[in-house]
Amino acid sequence: MRSSPFRERLHQEFESRRSRNARYSLRAFATLLGTDHSSLSQIVRGSRRTPASQIRSWGRKLGMVPEEIAVYVATEHVPDEPTTKRQEQLRHWTAEGLALATNEIHWKMLCLVRSHRFRPDCRWIAKETASTVDQVNLALSRLLRLRLLEITRSGQWKDLTGGPLLEPEEFRRLALVRIRERAAEDGVKLNGRAKQ
Amino acid sequence: MDAQNNSLQEVENYMGNAVTQFQIISAAPDQTAQFYSSLFGWKISANNPLGYRQIDTGSKAGIQGGIWPAPPQAPAFVQIFVSVSDVKGAVEKAQALGAKVMIPPTMLPEGDEMAVMHDPQGMSFAVWKTAK
Repeated sequence: MRSSPFRERLHQEFESRRSRNARYSLRAFATLLGTDHSSLSQIVRGSRRTPASQIRSWGRKLGMVPEEIAVYVATEHVPDEPTTKRQEQLRHWTAEGLALATNEIHWKMLCLVRSHRFRPDCRWIAKETASTVDQVNLALSRLLRLRLLEITRSGQWKDLTGGPLLEPEEFRRLALVRIRERAAEDGVKLNGRAKQ
Repeated sequence: MDAQNNSLQEVENYMGNAVTQFQIISAAPDQTAQFYSSLFGWKISANNPLGYRQIDTGSKAGIQGGIWPAPPQAPAFVQIFVSVSDVKGAVEKAQALGAKVMIPPTMLPEGDEMAVMHDPQGMSFAVWKTAK
């Protein structure tokens, strides 16, 4: 059930009236608000959302100032925290996947790591890959996060894709599988839908 | 081995685990560097093998920092770096407490060792051991 500050406010109002008059019923509260008992009951139970027009109308009837009503209307349209978190994770993993699918720097770096000329210097890697140092460092972080590259305690850079050097398309496929696995650990399915 | 671990633990108990560095993660690292150097007079240099923008605040009080590029779609944020004597051990302990490892223990070009994790509330932080 999605949390709703307006629903909580309605509940408080109702309880407050009931504390002053034990016989005060939800039906009486519905009459005060100008709605039917069934609709109000569903809203108070949380099985139905409150339309913005009703928040405005009921807010006025309960003596709320326009600013308070505006806050309740706005909160009904703001995604709740779990939804926001899922959306952020989906956005993050999608962007990570896109970066791997469209930027060859990751594969080029692994090629360099396997080369006898390799120098563990991001400025040198940037020159060799015709990239900026920031692009190299972003790719470095991503390769480390996806466990596609390791820098050992002796300072040696190791390509963890295993076996012979992968072709760009094979690397992309492997990297995107890793992205999907890591996203799944965060509860994100990279098929366009977030896990509920 | 246990005696050695106990001894390391004793040293850490004595010295504590200080926050030794802050790191600003920014999608526009050059602009971030420009902003803070203009605002506070911080000196920022990337003349090191990682091309890492190191911040010298110009003060002996407090800690020094750095700037690292943010991945696409990531908001700007600040990470803390906590000094440990054993990066791998710190990561294992953090995992047991519910942390998630983002970057496993990794040796950096100048010999510092680090790992990046998310704490159980999702905040990113790093453990760090300076090169001897």
